[in-house]
Amino acid sequence: MNLHIINTTIIHANIIWANIIVSIKSFYREKTVVFFRIAFPVILILVFGTIFMERDNEIFDLSVQDLDRTTSSEKLVEAIRLSKRFKITPVSPAADAEQYARINKRNLMVIIPKDFEMSMMQKMGPGDIGIPVSLTKLYDPSAFGVTTKIGVLDMVLAGINQEMSGKPPLIVSEPVSILKKKYRFIEFFVPGIIAMAVMTASLFGAVNVNAELRQKGVLRKLSTTPITRIDWILSNVLYQFILAVVSTAVMLLVSYIVFNVSLEINAWLVVFVALDVFSFVGLGMILTRVAREAESAAAAADALMFPMMFLSGTFFPVEMMPEFLQKFAKVLPLYYVNEGLRASMVAADHMAALKCALIIGVFAGVVFILGIMITKLDGETT
Amino acid sequence: MTQNSEYAIEVHNLTKHYKGLSAVDNISFTVKKGEVFALLGPNGAGKTTTVEIIDTIRKPTSGKVILLGMDVTRNKYTIIPRIGVLPQGFSSFDRITVKETLQFYSRLFCRRKTDINALMALVNLKDKVKVKYKNLSGGLKQRLGIAVALVNDPEIVFLDEPTTGLDPRARRAVWDVLLGLKKKGKTIFLTTHYMEEAELLADTVAIIAKGKITAMGSPGELIENNADYLVILLKSVDENVFEIVQKMGFLPVYDSHGDIRVRLDHTDDVRRLLNAVEAGGASFNGLDVRKPNLEEVFLKLTEETLLEGSAGIKEAK
Repeated sequence: MNLHIINTTIIHANIIWANIIVSIKSFYREKTVVFFRIAFPVILILVFGTIFMERDNEIFDLSVQDLDRTTSSEKLVEAIRLSKRFKITPVSPAADAEQYARINKRNLMVIIPKDFEMSMMQKMGPGDIGIPVSLTKLYDPSAFGVTTKIGVLDMVLAGINQEMSGKPPLIVSEPVSILKKKYRFIEFFVPGIIAMAVMTASLFGAVNVNAELRQKGVLRKLSTTPITRIDWILSNVLYQFILAVVSTAVMLLVSYIVFNVSLEINAWLVVFVALDVFSFVGLGMILTRVAREAESAAAAADALMFPMMFLSGTFFPVEMMPEFLQKFAKVLPLYYVNEGLRASMVAADHMAALKCALIIGVFAGVVFILGIMITKLDGETT
Repeated sequence: MTQNSEYAIEVHNLTKHYKGLSAVDNISFTVKKGEVFALLGPNGAGKTTTVEIIDTIRKPTSGKVILLGMDVTRNKYTIIPRIGVLPQGFSSFDRITVKETLQFYSRLFCRRKTDINALMALVNLKDKVKVKYKNLSGGLKQRLGIAVALVNDPEIVFLDEPTTGLDPRARRAVWDVLLGLKKKGKTIFLTTHYMEEAELLADTVAIIAKGKITAMGSPGELIENNADYLVILLKSVDENVFEIVQKMGFLPVYDSHGDIRVRLDHTDDVRRLLNAVEAGGASFNGLDVRKPNLEEVFLKLTEETLLEGSAGIKEAK
């Protein structure tokens, strides 16, 4: 056997494959790693999916204190109930409204004043002096989502007003979706979770495995075998890619079964998962080399991962953030994976997906080449 | 290239600096094909740096290493398939079994015909085939490391402190494996700080201290050339013996049996010492006068180097 010619493609492919086999065996024999890699993103989808599925058809709680207790006030309460946007909890007229709201953690409460019916009669009769009948909205400004709730209440009241006036509305708006189908939050969320799960697994997979193997001296032993740096990094990337494909398939399967998501599955999904893996395994390799100790490499990975997780549009749209943070998001590689995946899976916008793929592709290429350049198997420090 | 050279390893003026400190300081030596060569030295003497430059893990600051006729810095990937390495503190993948580990390394060398079972038999690990690496004891891990170093049927085997940290029984088991390799005619380059290991296994021993080789030769030659003194052993001594010998200006030491060992530079000192002990009324039950063993030669040579800061190479060959 001619072992002198070691730098041929066939031999390298064998080496890479041998490495992938060992990595996969090491993976499935450690149950906690399997849990965090496969089950954890699925749990995130289930938890957040359930929370936000409710939100898509949300019926808000609304406390109503009717101080008037007349036919008119009861009709108003019934009209609000019939809008199907609120579940109404009546509050005793004898109760101190503010105290009640605080104790019972009610973030919005409507108080119908004592002279409501009389004011309505005046308003609708010939003696109308142009002053509207006023309700009190008692609210907790620190409560999450209370402004949305007030907005919905105002919309319902505007509808009641308009109906009572007996005139058709002067201006109406017709919502037209820019997407081809009706999408819910879960369809926004799943591509983001895929991008984030692949990123964290690739980054931490590369950092943890390499730092551990370097510290234990396994890399030093490997440096006395025919394996090269390119073989090593490629086998790391391919191993992470295989796991990413499995993990993504499980996430999508659960999303389809539990939430009946409506997402476009096409070649872009594979492209973005691959670019996600290349980028973050490469980045992990660089961190392992730059940070001398395993702990500092993991800390550096944390420092990179958290801003990306929360500022790249994984959990909520980037447009919700202040302008300077939106600009910052656009320098984060995960932003382009998120945007690219959503462009392909939700909007089916291939041009937008291509643009994102090019940007993250350049990043992946640079990081991968840098990873190859600075990675060393032999533990030489100088 | 000098492929047909009688030497498996040629080291010429090898030097390695780390941040201004000299780990290996201009050393030269050769290792013949089929020879067991032991680099013997205290901790921090430069053994590992030397072996890691020779077996391609590290690069030298200056000097040249010729392995099987090739310069190691220029021919790493041609040399690697022909050598086997057990690095210091060998470690492998925790959740991979003994057999899988050997199969993995065999695949790295693209060896389809490696007889994994024979290798496991050689290092006496046949009953541990399915045991994961993390569940092996220290001695078994080292034996697996040696088997891994042999998967490519190498011409030269490098073993960096193969028995450090092992209990005596595990150490003997590793020695048995190494004696088996020696019988097969492999060239073995061994680093160790255990004298008995070097004495038992090595054809040639080089003593290294502070990055310099202070003596080299067969264990017998090293003793012969450096035993310019005698060792007297006084057995079952009473308390006064130590004090009397010390007062005479000698440096007595107790050994692990409670006997006193004294280094004497002249034959006349034997009579002088015995007379003094007798005159002091002290007693002992046994006496042995002999030439120093390898350990004592080693201590003498490394102490001299440490005290003097440098020493010339004493080529015994």
